[in-house]
Amino acid sequence: MAGLIELSDISKSFGGSVALDRVSLELFPGSVHALMGENGAGKSTLMKILAGVHRPDGGAIFKNGREIAFANPREALEAGISTVFQELSLLPNLTIAENLFLGREPLGRFGSVDYRRMNADTKSALTDLGLDLAPDTLVSELSIAERQFVEIAHGIKADASVFILDEPTAALNAADVEILNRHIRRLRDAGKAIVYISHRMDEIFEICDAVTVLKDGRLVGTRPLSEVNPASLIAMMVGRELQDLFPERARTRGEVLLAVKDFRIGTATKPFSLSVHAGEIIGLAGLEGQGQQRLVRSLIGQFQPFGGNVAIKGKQLPLPVTPSSGVRRLRSLGVGYVPEDRKEEGLFLALPIAYNIAIELHAECNELSIARGYREVIADAMARLNIRASGASMIVNALSGGNQQKVLLGRYLAADVDILIVEEPTRGVDVGAKSEIYKLLRDFADRGGAVLVLSRDTVEMIGLCDRLYVVHDNTVVAEMPAATATEHGILDAALSA
Amino acid sequence: MRQFFLDIVTGQRSRQGLWVLPLLMALAIVAFLTVRTGHMLRPDNLLNLLAQAMPLIITAIGQTFVVLVGGLDLSVGALISFSTAILALGGPAWILIPAVFLLAGLVGLINGVAVARLNVHPIIATLAMQYIIVGVTLVLRPVAGGSVPRVVIESVGGTFLGLPMQVYWGVVVVLVAWKLLHGSRFGLHLFAIGGGVASGAEDAAHNVGVAVKRNVIFAYVASACFAAAAGIFLAGRIVSGDPTVGNGYEIYAITAVAVGGTQLSGGIGSLHGTIIGAMVLALLSNGMTLLNVSPFVQTAIQGGILLLVVAMQTRRKMGL
Repeated sequence: MAGLIELSDISKSFGGSVALDRVSLELFPGSVHALMGENGAGKSTLMKILAGVHRPDGGAIFKNGREIAFANPREALEAGISTVFQELSLLPNLTIAENLFLGREPLGRFGSVDYRRMNADTKSALTDLGLDLAPDTLVSELSIAERQFVEIAHGIKADASVFILDEPTAALNAADVEILNRHIRRLRDAGKAIVYISHRMDEIFEICDAVTVLKDGRLVGTRPLSEVNPASLIAMMVGRELQDLFPERARTRGEVLLAVKDFRIGTATKPFSLSVHAGEIIGLAGLEGQGQQRLVRSLIGQFQPFGGNVAIKGKQLPLPVTPSSGVRRLRSLGVGYVPEDRKEEGLFLALPIAYNIAIELHAECNELSIARGYREVIADAMARLNIRASGASMIVNALSGGNQQKVLLGRYLAADVDILIVEEPTRGVDVGAKSEIYKLLRDFADRGGAVLVLSRDTVEMIGLCDRLYVVHDNTVVAEMPAATATEHGILDAALSA
Repeated sequence: MRQFFLDIVTGQRSRQGLWVLPLLMALAIVAFLTVRTGHMLRPDNLLNLLAQAMPLIITAIGQTFVVLVGGLDLSVGALISFSTAILALGGPAWILIPAVFLLAGLVGLINGVAVARLNVHPIIATLAMQYIIVGVTLVLRPVAGGSVPRVVIESVGGTFLGLPMQVYWGVVVVLVAWKLLHGSRFGLHLFAIGGGVASGAEDAAHNVGVAVKRNVIFAYVASACFAAAAGIFLAGRIVSGDPTVGNGYEIYAITAVAVGGTQLSGGIGSLHGTIIGAMVLALLSNGMTLLNVSPFVQTAIQGGILLLVVAMQTRRKMGL
């Protein structure tokens, strides 16, 4: 079968660093092609070249055997290549229809925008996707999932033959992922070629037909999905096997550092207790969105618990803690809280690495005391965390996802906390950095720290933790050692509660 | 149902921002003054009010274009004075009036190029332009004086088909602005650019082929041209050139835009909001004068109202 799109020997460098080195990729109609690799492997760059955002330094793009080149994303879309980028590109203050037609609005009489036609066309594109949205809804009113579906509708309306989905599920919950998969299958069955970038193995195996792996800007290989398994894929990506991903579990455990008793986080939920010992990594597992995050955020005061008590290092924490002082209160007791969304909640993206780490060290100082530079502490943390950057003054936003996450963790590790509460330790982080982060958390525990983590990735929870608490319906329904836990067992415990 | 009304009143879910509240405020002031003074709704007072408010309405409408793309234009006050000075140079109106618009267009072009192409912050770019215009104006006309062409005076003070000229001014300005802002691709693109600035998706509009820089430059040109029109209107009222008559208009215009529900971060706002905002300011000053409130207290009250109204416009994060 002939390829619909052929990327041939594409090279691209930014400044001095080579992002892509003679990478070739062929896309076929009616197939979903996974593109995998660690962050910085060049996946996004390759797709941005196909989407007309960047121009290649070398190589050529062919569509149906004819060479094509784009000056901007608009030309790429007109050539039938539609992209849903990681960073969504819809404008929140425009309606769905305005977003879909932006840049080529139909004009009516007297040169004004023909809204009637725009809305009618948009409605039919949305209906094609089975979406029941009014075309004149402002995009700011849509959920993130709906926005992605609208972007896909954009491509359908432009009659695109190639759809690029760059980590579409990073911000979606399980139900929306299912809907997205349905849309992808429908596009595939309609003979479109789809490129799917994701870090989540289960999704790749559920939906894709072929996979191409990149590493350090080079092509590692392209395989039909039937010929690979998760372990061999990871081996292709990092050159090592899955079991090497997680560090060894704890051998000993110390006294209880965090004890939660008879805690109730909803008005009508069952009370529960849990404890985290020194030297342990404890995971909150279960189906997504069943209250794992609510539990953690009840501890920091974002939600108010309805009863129970919390002891940190044997000292009672007076409840309730207020949303404004909760994190600070816990911090003064030696608890570091690492929020889920590093870009929105965790890091100061526009500031250097040094500031991002030092801010937690300054947190203990008097407001009017002279702000020390903590140069050695920061240099030490950066070395220990293996943060790949040109220096401590590098702006965090310019780092890869994995390195950003390490900076965020480094902030608390440098601050000498005893207890770490970590939400989604490796969200949007490549396999290599994942492994490093697991090791950092394990080292922290081995030095006598206690870690409480929650993650959507069950494999990660099983591999990383010592004990798991299964959370369902805003309460803890089971406790199990992670070494013998299975995904099936966790699901079973959650659903049979 | 309750949500429906709440949304309308707070403007949270609309691209037009919070304009219902200032409208209610304007109506409340009118009602209050009607009861207190009796002659508020008399045609001569209303016309007087319109004539007083017209330069501000025109300037603020121009300012709306710039604010919508996340910018600011501080040069409009100076440009108003400059326009009156040009008109009072002496010469035929058919040369002077096009000259005013041409020079204003040039000023807007320089502002726009500085902001969009040279990446100068809008406050700095237009503040620098303000100084330049103030200097040139003072060279042309160090003190108020000269006389403007008769056509200009009659276009403001006269009547046509039984209606005072300021009504026609209002209709023309509003039609032109409505066409540009709400009835053209240009206007939609301004909203798109501003929405991108406010939500951090700066490249989104560019990526779909919107000529971002050119549209931003046009926004500054529009602002300058509206300011020039306001200058012509003012020149017709004061019948001479005055290097200080436009002083403070940039701030009043921004105040009117903000009170009318346009977000200074860009992407949210409307023409009618700005007109309402300008009317609120005019009514306040007209009303307080009728009630013999001292001008100093008036200024303080206007500041308080600006703070109050803008504080009520804080929007949800996702909704801009």
